[in-house]
Amino acid sequence: MSEDKQALIDDAVDKALAGDMDPINNIEDRVTRSKAKAALVKAKRAKPKTEIKSVASVIHEDSNTKSKDTIEQIVMTSLAKSFSDFLDGEQNSGWIQIKAENWFGIAKWLKENDDLYFDSLQCNTGIDLGEGMLESRYNLHSMKHLHAIEIRIKVSIEKPDIPSVESLWRVADWFERETYDMFGINFTGHRDLRRILLPEDWEGWPLRKDYEEQETYHGIVVPKVKEGWE
Amino acid sequence: MGLLENRFDDNIVVEKLDKLLSWARSTSPWFFQFGTACCAIEMMAAAASRHDLMRIGIIPRSSPRQADVMIVAGTVTMKMALRVKKLYEQMADPKYVVAMGSCATSGGPYWQHGYHVLKGVDLVIPVDVYVPGCPPRPEALIEGLLKLQEQILEGRPLTRKTG
Amino acid sequence: MGVVHGQEMVLNIGPQHPATHGVLRLQVKTDGEVISDIKPYLGYLHRCFEKHCENVTYEQVIPFTDRCDYLASMTMNFGYVVAMENLMDIKVNDRVQHIRVIMAELQRIASHLLATGVFGLDLGAFTPFLHMLRDRERIIDLFEMTCGARLLYNYMWVGGLSHDLPKGFVEATLNFLDYFEPKIDEFESLLGHNKIFVERTADIGIMPAEVAINFGVTGPNLRASGVNWDLRKDDPYSIYDRFDFNVPVGQGIKGTVGDSWDRFYVRLQEIRESVKIVRQAIDQLPKEGDVHQSMPKKIRPPKGSIYSRTESPRGDLGYYIESDGSDTPARLKMRSPAFTALGVLNEIAGGWLMSDVLAILGSLDIVLGEIDR
Repeated sequence: MSEDKQALIDDAVDKALAGDMDPINNIEDRVTRSKAKAALVKAKRAKPKTEIKSVASVIHEDSNTKSKDTIEQIVMTSLAKSFSDFLDGEQNSGWIQIKAENWFGIAKWLKENDDLYFDSLQCNTGIDLGEGMLESRYNLHSMKHLHAIEIRIKVSIEKPDIPSVESLWRVADWFERETYDMFGINFTGHRDLRRILLPEDWEGWPLRKDYEEQETYHGIVVPKVKEGWE
Repeated sequence: MGLLENRFDDNIVVEKLDKLLSWARSTSPWFFQFGTACCAIEMMAAAASRHDLMRIGIIPRSSPRQADVMIVAGTVTMKMALRVKKLYEQMADPKYVVAMGSCATSGGPYWQHGYHVLKGVDLVIPVDVYVPGCPPRPEALIEGLLKLQEQILEGRPLTRKTG
Repeated sequence: MGVVHGQEMVLNIGPQHPATHGVLRLQVKTDGEVISDIKPYLGYLHRCFEKHCENVTYEQVIPFTDRCDYLASMTMNFGYVVAMENLMDIKVNDRVQHIRVIMAELQRIASHLLATGVFGLDLGAFTPFLHMLRDRERIIDLFEMTCGARLLYNYMWVGGLSHDLPKGFVEATLNFLDYFEPKIDEFESLLGHNKIFVERTADIGIMPAEVAINFGVTGPNLRASGVNWDLRKDDPYSIYDRFDFNVPVGQGIKGTVGDSWDRFYVRLQEIRESVKIVRQAIDQLPKEGDVHQSMPKKIRPPKGSIYSRTESPRGDLGYYIESDGSDTPARLKMRSPAFTALGVLNEIAGGWLMSDVLAILGSLDIVLGEIDR
């Protein structure tokens, strides 16, 4: 693409962002017009986002800064400075058990704190603990400091509400939808909480321990005879 | 004896129209590439280099409207089952179905606990040939398609309805 | 000329479509030809993997991991057995480790061959696909020689392998590598420098590094965005720290760093690196060693949980295993790399033209079996 065309596109996009679509629509050349529209969509998307720090360059720089305390202890002591009453029940080595209501604030802090900098959410697992309790587990990882941590949040089966962290780690969008799909954990504040794997009209939460298969689905019979299968 | 005896040259064959039709149908069944899971890779391998299905006149088609045979290659789930039926109905008659692999045949390894797996594609559409295996080798698929050709050859489309 | 306002159109691709690599449905909103929004609908291949894991024993889980990512079954096995061995604290001998690495790297070559071949096929290049599948068949033959299966192997077991290497395997593999190495250059010139292919992929679907990390994208897709992150180097499992290999990252040779061409090129370079690793592993392969030596009679891990990651051809493959002390897992979750790779599609495909969507989707190298599980 020649430079004057690029300048034309930039100019048109700027005007369109200000609310005037005519410059784009008046571009004669079809290819240039579509390129300008593409650039406009990109610009619109990029606008409301908060700035994410460039992380690609700093990876591997200071991986030897770990002290003798385990990462869980470090996180807990520094968390205690900013939050009170966030722990839930007894603590164990290997993970941190926190209360649901503080989760979003803690997650934001874990992500943005420079010493911890958990920029990557590796995995979100739901689990049915039995006795009417569900749990959501988050495996966080820092690609800058190369340390990892596990956060666990327990909720009751009657009121399974956990704040969503989908706006912090965008990967959580689908992870949380999957956990919702399988366990029925309600992630409050999620912008698009629908079933992801199962059809919209599916009944029940398959990975809960008390799940029973439905007899028919849209008239398709589900064979039930399973004795002597092995 | 007979009116037709010795009335034709060597290059003319006298045969029942019924048989002629089924013979014409049996050659070059174009298949609808409907791969859903692992078996789709073996179906691709059967159509690509080395096994080369095209040498026996079997050509993959991407649209159900251009195909004669539907190869259901892989697991069919509840969410997909309604689409499978729709795709089958979109095919032009005469149409045939090959269930490839144990998932399409019976649910396969997902039979017991697979709450979302259709236990055999024959619950929603009629199947002509079952190819066992998890996944079947390309040779097994070719064998299944040859069996289907035999089956079509034996059919009598005018006098009796074929499956 | 009057002002023309585009009208929004909703277009459905799939679930049966030759370019969606399986049964995926994309709901695309377009303004003319320009994409404004893509909504992927998954689950057409949801085979209840995690439900099965809770109902079968630890040994019986392995065949189900095969069937999740059917293009890279060996590495799926590998990830699971590494997680189980970490949980149960089992040390396996060197011969087993070397054989596992050989198999995993051969599998990576096979998977990348299919990925790049199908990527070309999506964009209309049929010949490279046939060439790549021809060479993939040779790798499949090596696997068949080892364990009898062509696609789903069930070869790596917790604490060992199902069989030792057969006679003649090492020679056959070396023969294959000698034959295969010059072919990589051929693929590169046949597809990678093809004018049409470059036009369709370079500068298309650019994924910046911070977007990739925030969306949890891993593997070749992340490396193509310029992030040097490979678990084989950065968090070495098994014996990957003993081998000398490079981690190719995207450089934006034909366009911008992180475009579709870079993702293709990183895969091609990884094939070269995998060939190097296989050669080294064969050189160092110990002659002695029983592959069943450390296998427990009954797998009963202690109470506890583990999250373990390995590098599959598609990225970070994580297994979260929760054990309650019995012989079946209380919970087993697979963190699938293709799942997160598909999640970024809407972010990077917006603003491009309709025909670019398939190029971008092809470059992400998704496997639906692993996404839906």
